[in-house]
Amino acid sequence: MLKVSHVYKYFDDQCVNNDICLELREGEIFGLLGPNGAGKTTLMRMLATVTSPDRGEILLNGEPLTYKHVPLIGYMPEERGLYRKMSVVDQLLYFAELKGLSRSMAKIHVKKWLQRLDIIHWADKKMEELSKGMAQKIQFISTILHEPKFLILDEPFSGFDPVNADMVKDLIIELKNAGTTILFSTHRMDNVEELCHRLAIIHEGHKVLDGSISEVRQSHFRNEYDLSFAEAVVLPAHFNRAPGDSNSSNSLRVTLTENQTDKDLLDWAYGTQQLKSFGAYLPTMHEIFISKVSKQ
Amino acid sequence: MRSIWVVLKKEYLTRVKNRTFIVMTFLAPVLIALFYGGAIYFATVGAEDHSQKNVYFNAPHWELESDELSFETYTFLPALNSTSEMLQQIENGKASGWLQINDKDLRSLDSTELVGGSTFSVTELQKLNTHIKTRVHEYLLKQAGISESTLRLTEVSGGIKSLEIDQTGSIANSNTNLKSAVGFAMAMIIYMFIFIYGSMVMRSAMEEKTNRIVEVIVSSVRPFDLMLGKILGVALVGLTQFFAWIFLSILLLGGLTFAFSSGGNPVPAEAQNMPIHEFIEGFNTLPFTNIILVFVLFFLGGYLLYSSIFAAIGAAVNQETDVQQFMLPVSLPLVFGFIIAQSVVFQSPNGQLAQIFSMIPFTSPIVMAVRAPFDVPLSEIIASFVLLMVTFLFMVWLSAKIYRVGVLMYGKKPSWKDLWRWVRQS
Repeated sequence: MLKVSHVYKYFDDQCVNNDICLELREGEIFGLLGPNGAGKTTLMRMLATVTSPDRGEILLNGEPLTYKHVPLIGYMPEERGLYRKMSVVDQLLYFAELKGLSRSMAKIHVKKWLQRLDIIHWADKKMEELSKGMAQKIQFISTILHEPKFLILDEPFSGFDPVNADMVKDLIIELKNAGTTILFSTHRMDNVEELCHRLAIIHEGHKVLDGSISEVRQSHFRNEYDLSFAEAVVLPAHFNRAPGDSNSSNSLRVTLTENQTDKDLLDWAYGTQQLKSFGAYLPTMHEIFISKVSKQ
Repeated sequence: MRSIWVVLKKEYLTRVKNRTFIVMTFLAPVLIALFYGGAIYFATVGAEDHSQKNVYFNAPHWELESDELSFETYTFLPALNSTSEMLQQIENGKASGWLQINDKDLRSLDSTELVGGSTFSVTELQKLNTHIKTRVHEYLLKQAGISESTLRLTEVSGGIKSLEIDQTGSIANSNTNLKSAVGFAMAMIIYMFIFIYGSMVMRSAMEEKTNRIVEVIVSSVRPFDLMLGKILGVALVGLTQFFAWIFLSILLLGGLTFAFSSGGNPVPAEAQNMPIHEFIEGFNTLPFTNIILVFVLFFLGGYLLYSSIFAAIGAAVNQETDVQQFMLPVSLPLVFGFIIAQSVVFQSPNGQLAQIFSMIPFTSPIVMAVRAPFDVPLSEIIASFVLLMVTFLFMVWLSAKIYRVGVLMYGKKPSWKDLWRWVRQS
């Protein structure tokens, strides 16, 4: 669907995107992670045809990305706003028409979405009369109104109240089920684990990691195991407690050294005759993110 | 093309449907009429002081009865013997002043003084001055033995009438004053249109930036198309308002003329010999095709060029207060155009300097408009207009580049250097 290969973007002498390669598959939700200033927004702007790469190539459906693809793309930037003096319906029609919809088609779509979100009675209100939460709903509608095949959302959950954030989340899932490919950036890991099939982490302009969530977590396995016991046990001294250990004597997290095997640990645990559960511990996305971003 | 149309439609409709726009369109001609009417009324009638003015008069070397000097609302009284009593009267408001002509030789009124002078306005003083001088002049003529009838015989009236050879080769009336007036009026309209509607384009670009709409817009439409759509949309708004004003003014003027003519005030016979009549007669000799052609072309062309620059300013700045820094250099060429128009066009409307500045696109809308009534060759008009349009398209392209980068730059106030960097960057 979308292929980003060896993309560079400079601001003055600073390299904001350095040799970025990504591939998005049709119908998946892709998460773009990274601390503030990592270059996520710069990359998304290039994907949304707002700017273009200084070097490298972006292909959409196998063709170099140009303004021709505008009708296929929906983009909600992090910095967002609407015309304050325009009515809701005029505003939505304008955006839909700009995205290539005919006037009559635009009308049908606007009506459909306003009804869908139960806000058809706002249609003739001016933006300045609406509350912030209402404006956020309109903002999201304006992004997806033309039913884009490829949706780019920059920090879609920031600035939204919890109710609207949930609405956006539901809509993202719904759009994915309808076949839309979605790329979004966030720094909220719970959203990533909940929504994304695959993800990439960007740090200081470089891509430091990408893959599916389970792949990424598997590959970051640190030889840690979680064990829980019916009663308190004492961990033998040759086993080390892991950094994330809860310090209780009923449940333990253990890091194995290179010459210890999971069988050694299991044998001991089994011997206590109190073992309730035993399993490999895969680091959370949050842990992986922190380690990736602070290590570089 | 399609997106230019979509932007144009939006820019036009949101403005034309605006309540303030509708109110202003209907109210402006009325306000302007009231304003000028009021100004003219107060200048001619309202401000004049109709109260009687008594002035003490004393001129030891001028054999004249004081009441012979009286005119209009001024009555001249013989000066009292006691100076203090006179001053008392002036102070009490019983008299307005005391005119004392001490000069022996009346040809130079160097020792002529008006006590109480500060109660007289500038116009009143001028009036008094002229009156006294005229009377002294008459008196001196009489002294030299020249009678009033001789004086009448030597009076010269009329003046030089300027004629020109028109397109058909025959000699026709020409009225240089009228031509200049028409030229400057057109230049003024162009100038105002550029500023009123150019700043509308600027605010439109600024609104998108300050409300953070611009990123969505730039991801949906080419900046060049957006700019062109905005500029053309606002131009249509301006034209709509312009024609509405012309239409309303004609209605208003027609109404006024009707109201006055039905009042039964026929034009007095002597008025037909007044210069105003000549003025109107000269109207028919104006090269109308040229004037209308130049006005339409340079009215639109000037607006298009400048609004594309204004749009770029709107895209570059973050807030209204930062605009000033860019506004001044942009408006300078237009003001300069007026200076050129005044100094050069008046002296030789088809001279070299006038020709040069009516070719330079930044001054041509003003200079060409002023020159238009003075038979500018068609080839020059076309060449200048083509140059103007080429520059316009280039400026839109340049502005679009600034827009594209400028809209994504928030925070610090941009400098001219930044603008140049943005142009190269995108």
